[in-house]
Amino acid sequence: MSSMMQPQIILLKEGTDTSQGKAQLLSNINAVTAVGDVVRTTLGPRGMDKLIHDDKGSVTISNDGATIMKLLDIVHPAAKILVDIAKSQDSEVGDGTTTVVLLAAEFLKEAKPFVEDGVHSQNLIRSYRTASTLAIEKVKELAVSIEGKSVEEKKGLLAKCAATTLSSKLIGGEKEFFATMVVDAVIAIGDDDRLNLIGIKKVPGGNMRDSFLVDGVAFKKTFSYAGFEQQPKKFLNPKILLLNIELELKSEKENAEIRLSDPSQYQSIVDAEWNIIYDKLDKCVESGAKVVLSRLAIGDLATQYFADRDIFCAGRVAEADLNRVAAAAGGTVQTSVNNIIPEVLGTCEIFEEKQVGGERFNIFSGCPSGRTATIVLRGGADQFIEEAERSLHDAIMIVRRAVKNSTVVPGGGAIDMEISKYLRQHSRTIAGKSQLFINSYAKALEVIPRQLCDNAGFDATDVLNKLRQKHAMQSGEGASYGVDINTGGIADSFASFVWEPAVVKINAINAATEAACLILSVDETVKNPKSESAQGDAAAGAMGRGRGGGRGRGMRRR
Amino acid sequence: MALAFDEFGRPFIILREQDQKTRLRGIDAQKANIAAGKAVARILRSSLGPKGMDKMLQGPDGDVTITNDGATILEQMDVDNQIAKLMVELSRSQDYEIGDGTTGVVVMAGALLEQAERQLDRGIHPIRVAEGYEMASRVAVEHLERISQKFEFDVNNFEPLVQTCMTTLSSKIVNRCKRSLAEIAVKAVLAVADLERRDVNLDLIKIEGKVGGNLEDTELIYGILVDKDMSHPQMPKQIEDAHIAILTCPFEPPKPKTKHKVDIDTVEKFETLRKQEQQYFDEMVQKCKDVGATLVICQWGFDDEANHLLMHRNLPAVRWVGGVELELIAIATGGRIVPRFQELTPEKLGKAGMVREKSFGTTKERMLYIEHCANSKAVTIFIRGGNKMMIEETKRSIHDALCVARNLIRNKSIVYGGGAAEIACSLAVDAAADKYPGVEQYAIRAFAEALDSVPMALAENSGLQPIETLSAVKSQQLKENIPFYGIDCNDVGTNDMREQNVFETLIGKQQQILLATQVVKMILKIDDVISNSEY
Repeated sequence: MSSMMQPQIILLKEGTDTSQGKAQLLSNINAVTAVGDVVRTTLGPRGMDKLIHDDKGSVTISNDGATIMKLLDIVHPAAKILVDIAKSQDSEVGDGTTTVVLLAAEFLKEAKPFVEDGVHSQNLIRSYRTASTLAIEKVKELAVSIEGKSVEEKKGLLAKCAATTLSSKLIGGEKEFFATMVVDAVIAIGDDDRLNLIGIKKVPGGNMRDSFLVDGVAFKKTFSYAGFEQQPKKFLNPKILLLNIELELKSEKENAEIRLSDPSQYQSIVDAEWNIIYDKLDKCVESGAKVVLSRLAIGDLATQYFADRDIFCAGRVAEADLNRVAAAAGGTVQTSVNNIIPEVLGTCEIFEEKQVGGERFNIFSGCPSGRTATIVLRGGADQFIEEAERSLHDAIMIVRRAVKNSTVVPGGGAIDMEISKYLRQHSRTIAGKSQLFINSYAKALEVIPRQLCDNAGFDATDVLNKLRQKHAMQSGEGASYGVDINTGGIADSFASFVWEPAVVKINAINAATEAACLILSVDETVKNPKSESAQGDAAAGAMGRGRGGGRGRGMRRR
Repeated sequence: MALAFDEFGRPFIILREQDQKTRLRGIDAQKANIAAGKAVARILRSSLGPKGMDKMLQGPDGDVTITNDGATILEQMDVDNQIAKLMVELSRSQDYEIGDGTTGVVVMAGALLEQAERQLDRGIHPIRVAEGYEMASRVAVEHLERISQKFEFDVNNFEPLVQTCMTTLSSKIVNRCKRSLAEIAVKAVLAVADLERRDVNLDLIKIEGKVGGNLEDTELIYGILVDKDMSHPQMPKQIEDAHIAILTCPFEPPKPKTKHKVDIDTVEKFETLRKQEQQYFDEMVQKCKDVGATLVICQWGFDDEANHLLMHRNLPAVRWVGGVELELIAIATGGRIVPRFQELTPEKLGKAGMVREKSFGTTKERMLYIEHCANSKAVTIFIRGGNKMMIEETKRSIHDALCVARNLIRNKSIVYGGGAAEIACSLAVDAAADKYPGVEQYAIRAFAEALDSVPMALAENSGLQPIETLSAVKSQQLKENIPFYGIDCNDVGTNDMREQNVFETLIGKQQQILLATQVVKMILKIDDVISNSEY
């Protein structure tokens, strides 16, 4: 009797939304596919851009998968995983962000009918994992090394890789121009891992052909005081002094106070103060430096003092720029002007102040260590330059990757077709369900060439069949055939120099498979009721993480 | 907006606040963007050319601007649409780089968009249209290079420069005295130009304006004009052969920057302090006198005691001169800016042949002219005009003219104006189109047609029959194979732009074509617009 009176056990906070089982899995897949559809059209040289307003009203026009995913502001827990893999692809290899999202969405789409038919998702996951290992091995096997070539030859090859990346971007029309620029910049910084040694400066105005590469450092003219115009603006082989102190007439200690009882001592205090600053300035001059840069302010007094002695100075230089000058010119940033030894001074071949569009730039070129490069980007509109910067970033990352692991694979969907073929062949050797799953994985890989055709307005089925025929050839000579974006037919991607570093593909396949498996393994979502306070962000983050996390949050609030 | 629905037709919530977002995609997005771009171009179209009209714009706080400068109009319009903003930036970047042709570039972009729309209706892929445009722009730029002519000029023979500046000014409200203004602009640029390095620092040309007088009274001063007067009304109004001390320290007892306190506990001490202060003033004035200065220009003020003393010692002075002006004075007079009285030396003084104070009309306003300077590398253009709007517009016009002159010094090549260059390019692009296989061919032809819209707008604005005039000129160019024929906007009676002396700079024209193509490509490439519905 008493059992009838027993109240219902309340496990979760009131208003919590739970859904589970197959329906949940399918709905997650649907959501992911929907997100994949958004970025779908940006793939490839004929891919389109997206214009996105964010909630603050600022606008971005972009073709970069990671940027779009970030700006879409996705809250759906499963779909959020796609954002994460796009980001990880971006930070890991820099390019292929659209590819990775597209692949993940396609893997899930292929898995959907199986799930509907009642296949256990763990079976799918296991097969997908095997397939991805096989695929990656195949990529490694197919990749062509560019190691051991002469520098000139290597440069040409790297430029091809950069051009492939850039071809899908807004600046695709000038891809050769920018590709060489990017390669030069990356070669200039050598093996150093610090990407911030490549500076990208944006100056609105001009057209993109006016962009140029400085084999050194360039930065915008800083705020200057009266007297600045009287300083010389060009030096050959100047000594450069880098400082992190203020060269201004000011009180030495903030909280000091001077009490005078004798008015005649007044002048001595004034003189003492002036002597401090003059002393500093004298030391700068004595060091023999012709260019003085400081991260902090250089006051009007110092400006005029330097002008009198034919020295160029710039105060309030951004820290990143100052560090790059230090790296390029071989100097060290000083925090005191005492004991300046010649070793801490940097030098470069030419220092010049130049007019670039509406701005004036300080340009240090021909630096001895040559470990920095600056790209000055020009373009007709702010949005244009922003997008160009993102594109160049992708290209720089790609070239760096290619320098490190110097293997490339043919692009234009060729490598994807080849892996697909290989997996299909492999699947036939397997007895059991796995055969079907690996086959569908193989089919999903074909999405890349298919989407390339769709975006360009070609008949995808037609082109794909042609490609399949080429890749099925026993001799293997058709292995590098991909979509020819210009004619709507097929072409040997390797011969037409559509190349991408192998690591991009490997990472993309890996990340996409991981994401697909992760989503397939989720069978329940618990959604906490919305809290009144604006903690939507935190709640959204915890949503996909299962029951335990959800309940924990609810309790803590009480 | 919803991206996906579940089996019951309920939308998934994928994006934050997705029900408040709207999404426009595919051909609709492109059409909407093109419409926005065209709308902006339509506004500017009537401002093109010598018979173009002005726009009156009222700012948020009631200030009125009247102008026909494309960049200024768009800047003041405060557009909200993103695509329209791209057009504004397009115009601005032409302004930064070239300074002239800001209207033309927008009209050009508008025409390209209009043509692109037609190609999209035919089912041509937008990227292919954009690529076709890019090929065509390359052809056009090369053709411009071919038909351009080199101008020979030097410091004494600057007539060609004046002619080109006059072309720019003829479309402005000031075209009444375009000849004199053009001469002023050219002389100013030549005065500051570094002909060897082919560089002109426009910062060295100061443009001042004052309401009153006629536009004809506008003058070029080889020196500096400062909107200040002598610190004391009884100081001399004119100084010949002035030696100028340029100071950045105030005429007052020095103050230590460290917090300080002077303890005065006896009358004697107070007396000493007062004496010392007086002595400071005395010393300061004496130092200026000692080095031979006959005029003191000070960045800061000085109190009445110092003022009186200066007056007494017969040392004229000017106070509260801004940093930028101070710098210009230093450059012009070859002096050095002195931060401290102790550092004054005769070498650091600037020299000017004549410094005079001039008052205007019946008003009490006075200005200080510093002329015949040791180094005339800094000049001032002083604009007079009936009202403030007029002066502002004149300033903008002069700026355009200065930019044109600068561009010519950088690159001597010119092309012929009046739409002649566009017509020539249109013919060249049209002829080149047939050589390209593939869909791009159509886009290239469309580009040629878009080029025609600039002369068309010129004719329309001048009250001519646009189609008739254009086709007549076009056939004339083709028949005689001479790229000088343009639209006769001023009804002079000839189409030959050489005779009419209508010139434009080559780099300006090339920039227009390249920039317009670039922005149009950007607009065409967008196929998805996701926005919060309030935008």
